[in-house]
Amino acid sequence: MPVSCSSCGEKRAALKRPKTGHSLCKECFFMAFEEEVHQTIVNASLFKSGESVAIAASGGKDSTVLAHVMKVLNERYNYGLELMLISVDEGITGYRDDSLETVKRNQQQYELPLKIVSYEELYGWTMDAIVKQVGLKNNCTFCGVFRRQALDRGALMLKVDKICTGHNADDVAETVLMNVLRGDIARLRRCTAISTASEGEGVVPRCKPLKYAYEKEIVLYAYFKKLDYFSTECIYSPNAYRGHARTFLKDLESIRPSSIIDIIHSGENLSVREGVKMPVQGTCSRCGYISSQALCKSCVLLEGLNRGLPKLGIGKHHRLHGKILSQQPLTEKEERKLKSVEF
Amino acid sequence: MAAPVSVHLEFGGGAELLFDGVKEHHVTLPSQPEPWGMRQLLVWIQRNLLKERPELFVQGDSVRPGILVLINDADWELMGELDYQLQDQDNVVFISTLHGG
Amino acid sequence: MCEMQRGAGSSSDPCRRPVLQVRRTWEAEAPPRGLSVRNRSARADCVLLFVRSCFRDYFTHKFRAMLGKTRLIFPGEKVLLAISGGPSSSAMLSQVQQGLSQSAQKKLRFLPAIVHIDEGGALGLSLVERQRLVSELQVIFRASGFNFYTIPLEQVLDLPSSVVNVAPPSFDQAPDSYKAAVDVDLQGAGRDPQQGGGVPEPRLDESQTRSLQQLLGSAATLTARAELLSTLRQHLLVHTARTRGYSKLLLGESCSRLAVRLLTCVSLGRGAHLAQDTGFSDCRFGDVTLVRPMREFSAKEIAVYNHMFGVPTVIIPTLDTKMPEKASIQRLSQSFVSRLQQDFPSTVSTIYRTSEKLQTAGGGCSAQDGRCLLCVCSVDTAAGKASALQARLISEQLCCQEPAGTVQVGPTPPAGQCCSATDGECGRPAGGAGCCSSHFRAPEKKELQKLLCYSCQLILRDMSSVAHLPQYIVAEAERRKRRSLMKDEISEFLLEEEGSS
Repeated sequence: MPVSCSSCGEKRAALKRPKTGHSLCKECFFMAFEEEVHQTIVNASLFKSGESVAIAASGGKDSTVLAHVMKVLNERYNYGLELMLISVDEGITGYRDDSLETVKRNQQQYELPLKIVSYEELYGWTMDAIVKQVGLKNNCTFCGVFRRQALDRGALMLKVDKICTGHNADDVAETVLMNVLRGDIARLRRCTAISTASEGEGVVPRCKPLKYAYEKEIVLYAYFKKLDYFSTECIYSPNAYRGHARTFLKDLESIRPSSIIDIIHSGENLSVREGVKMPVQGTCSRCGYISSQALCKSCVLLEGLNRGLPKLGIGKHHRLHGKILSQQPLTEKEERKLKSVEF
Repeated sequence: MAAPVSVHLEFGGGAELLFDGVKEHHVTLPSQPEPWGMRQLLVWIQRNLLKERPELFVQGDSVRPGILVLINDADWELMGELDYQLQDQDNVVFISTLHGG
Repeated sequence: MCEMQRGAGSSSDPCRRPVLQVRRTWEAEAPPRGLSVRNRSARADCVLLFVRSCFRDYFTHKFRAMLGKTRLIFPGEKVLLAISGGPSSSAMLSQVQQGLSQSAQKKLRFLPAIVHIDEGGALGLSLVERQRLVSELQVIFRASGFNFYTIPLEQVLDLPSSVVNVAPPSFDQAPDSYKAAVDVDLQGAGRDPQQGGGVPEPRLDESQTRSLQQLLGSAATLTARAELLSTLRQHLLVHTARTRGYSKLLLGESCSRLAVRLLTCVSLGRGAHLAQDTGFSDCRFGDVTLVRPMREFSAKEIAVYNHMFGVPTVIIPTLDTKMPEKASIQRLSQSFVSRLQQDFPSTVSTIYRTSEKLQTAGGGCSAQDGRCLLCVCSVDTAAGKASALQARLISEQLCCQEPAGTVQVGPTPPAGQCCSATDGECGRPAGGAGCCSSHFRAPEKKELQKLLCYSCQLILRDMSSVAHLPQYIVAEAERRKRRSLMKDEISEFLLEEEGSS
């Protein structure tokens, strides 16, 4: 017997919402999904009328759904936002070049301007070239650090007021778990924030309108809306430790579907003991980007690549920052430690 | 051919629940082509002693994480773990650290 | 204190043969004095090798140091040890026993007694089996020479409502009074004669066992059942301590267990309560402080200690014994942590250190009001408009209302509206045509939800019925409801918010 939609009570239900367990028809699901994102945007006052907002688009499901929903809501509720897409080209043959094609199609479909910034033009290195030098074990560190800065640089070029990213509830919950597992109290405290305040020169505020949207529902939304997205994983090995956290989260969700939101609630309500040391935010003395050290992570990584010492940016080598800044050569012993690719 | 080996096995900390609650076992491992090591012992235990839910005792070819192994009252991490070669009259203890506190 | 030089492993002297390998992570601080450490890297990850006698000293030193440096337990104070019979609490009992028999200088100076909660009824054990386990434990307890109480969990059904309330601290515990207490104790004053016997246990009533089983049975998931059970156990422990005049309740949780607990709590939405649930001391009850003196020991250290020094334990099955990995969130967290620990040996200590950096939201120890009816922690549901809790309410509300556009989403949807309740039940008139769910619908359930913290609301949500909740909880809920109504009535005459419930 067909189940009828629990919202309109008329049409036949097409899906069971992973988030609440209710059976809904397609139209009511679309409405509920979009309405929830709208409520998130309104309740957290993410945007102001007249702002220009860059949507970080990778071509994947999250950012495709984000671009679609932002466009729909901007029109439906007259947000008065000037939307555009911004994409980072990491230089990964067979992955990013294909997904960028998707982004370009999205640009046409949604009629939004698109800006592509590439690692190659920003740093002089593509991910393919980086992997060739550092191997497959720590390449995600490079990619993650570089991407963050690339988005900021692109946003500056576009002169936008804000960037929004496609991070969903699963991503946020997973990050909470990761930070608990790593004992990273500073990040644990920050990671549930829906938006970052303007942290300083060269850093554009970011927000996550899909923060409370389940990954499963994003996939369902994209599927039923027949959105055009690219669904291959990065060809370079994913972060093993994050993989553990993800598996754990998926298992939790299968036991109690609300776990994802419950974990975010936990993260939002943590409080840190006074007197626990927190890193002080400053700026990188080389490129001016925010950094808690004399050199920002991205400059250290880049220096390592350019000197042929890839381990420089992996692990903690703060005491070498002085030497790097003053362009001094490293000792033979230091070089030997940082050179080997087997780490 | 390796000669038969007599070993004393002990299960504790809740691990004994998987062996009908029996804590101590004096067993003789039969003669076999290759020498008896911990790796082989685990397989033997699984086939001959374990009464239920093998996945709660072994995982992969080792013991389930959280089960502590002592060989002659010393941590097996100091004895080569799975590669330890059993000697006649060895005492092997398995203690679950996963059960209540 | 201990030899752990490189050469220790190769010594031919059997007394110097290392018997245990322990991995430890010391962050920022140096390893404890007297320990020479084999591998010293930047993060101070190191491997300790112990010979037998050194391990004993190390273990004892650590236990004493934990109690000593915190100065939490006063000389002459009455302290209740919660002993489950499992490895960790048994090791704690053994340490306290040893500490009391030490020479004067190192002697522990508090007055201990033992409490054991017999949970056999909740686990469906037969009466014979329960009696066997209890008498096995009593042999151990009697040998300790301490007073002991073995209390069937069924007793929880008869608790007074006051147990879920915060009571003012029982006596002055200012830091400078510690010294004074030492002096008084040294003069032999304030010391109770210890008779070292069991307190006659109340008779077991079969109908009580049935009620308890019905209560736990009404929790539809093992996750909720386990949380409910531990809540009831905690109430009974605190009540026992209160009524018998013990101001500290010592729990035997090891750091391995606390790491799992921390991860479990995060997953259960207990983020606001992490510090209380996993910290060294927890004063949510006010007059009785929960203390976790075993939290520096790993499960491995405890298991080896018990094995080597013949500490007796009694293994009693728990709710998730022999259950599959995904049977509950608690169970899953445990297998996850132990598997991760295998690959990344500093997992447990890293997670556990996290708990030291947290504090309770809203002060924890003092605030009398707005406490959860079940876990007695501060209620954490007053979140702002942009919060996970609000997002969940919006989702539930949106799923069974008229199509959007007309949707009015307020922070607290009016009662009587469909799905307006936090418990995920449909709020349309029962049996109404558009009602989206046909769950059991008890009016009290909604009322109860308001008195609970986020995570305890989830327990209630997983319960098919609240009809079997113990009287003390229901009565307290009634009292709070009446008080809140009264306050509403007089609110316009109050000059300022006094902040009471």
